[in-house]
Amino acid sequence: MAAAAFERRVLRRAAEHHYLRVRLELPDGGARPNAAQFKQLVVTALRELHGEVGAALPVDVLTYEEKSLSAILRVISSGLVKLWSALTLLGFYQNRRCAFRVLQVKPYISVSTCVIWQQ
Amino acid sequence: MVRFKNRYVLCEVVSEDPRCRQCIEDRALGLAVRDAIARVHGDYGLACCSISFTVKYLNAYTGTVLLRCRKDSYRLLCSALPFVRYLESRAQRYPCHLNTLHVGGTIRTCQKFLIQYNRTQLLRLLQNCTNEEERQCIQKSLLSCSLTEEQSQSGDEEEDDGTETD
Repeated sequence: MAAAAFERRVLRRAAEHHYLRVRLELPDGGARPNAAQFKQLVVTALRELHGEVGAALPVDVLTYEEKSLSAILRVISSGLVKLWSALTLLGFYQNRRCAFRVLQVKPYISVSTCVIWQQ
Repeated sequence: MVRFKNRYVLCEVVSEDPRCRQCIEDRALGLAVRDAIARVHGDYGLACCSISFTVKYLNAYTGTVLLRCRKDSYRLLCSALPFVRYLESRAQRYPCHLNTLHVGGTIRTCQKFLIQYNRTQLLRLLQNCTNEEERQCIQKSLLSCSLTEEQSQSGDEEEDDGTETD
């Protein structure tokens, strides 16, 4: 028996939302986007790659920090691939080069929403 | 068997403007459909649908169009067809819309459907005639239909249709 606490996360059914922790990299020291402009950037990325149907995907920006340009996005699980691919292929923000780094993708936002079996 | 499967989408171009008939050509229509797909489904949708996309058949008199695309992306194509709002050719823009009539796996099934559809449309045209003159005109043109080769069989078929409408 393992002495250390062993956590096993069991999700009974497929989650309806997926949560992405992303960071926007803007190498030049220009003006940083605020929360609304950030959301606009995400929707623009979706519109370029997936058209009007992609832009209509329900994406929410749950948290946004302007200092570090990192955010947590929530998207419906069927739209995860579209959102992730659109963020990957976005290259420009207001004619400045930028890149999205996707740090974490999880079907739950916090520990309390999933079952943890501790042994 | 491993082969590329296609879907053939049969549509009808409906327009209030009578001059639109002249500008129904394959390139203008192909561009309009591609443009609609790009707007609705973006770069990804455009690339998916353009793999094997052509306008296979076009009839400017009846406004019938047959489009071909890959089986994997025919749903993207069909969902973008209602977003075609105008046809543009020679710097003229004519408003129109596309009605999807049939989606088939081969050109032959689409042709079979089109023959059936044209028969019912002719019947409906005859019933909707407002005056006797139009009625006579349609009946006369039906009875005088014939092909240049193999006349006897197809001529008989058309005549049968003509007499049934009375």
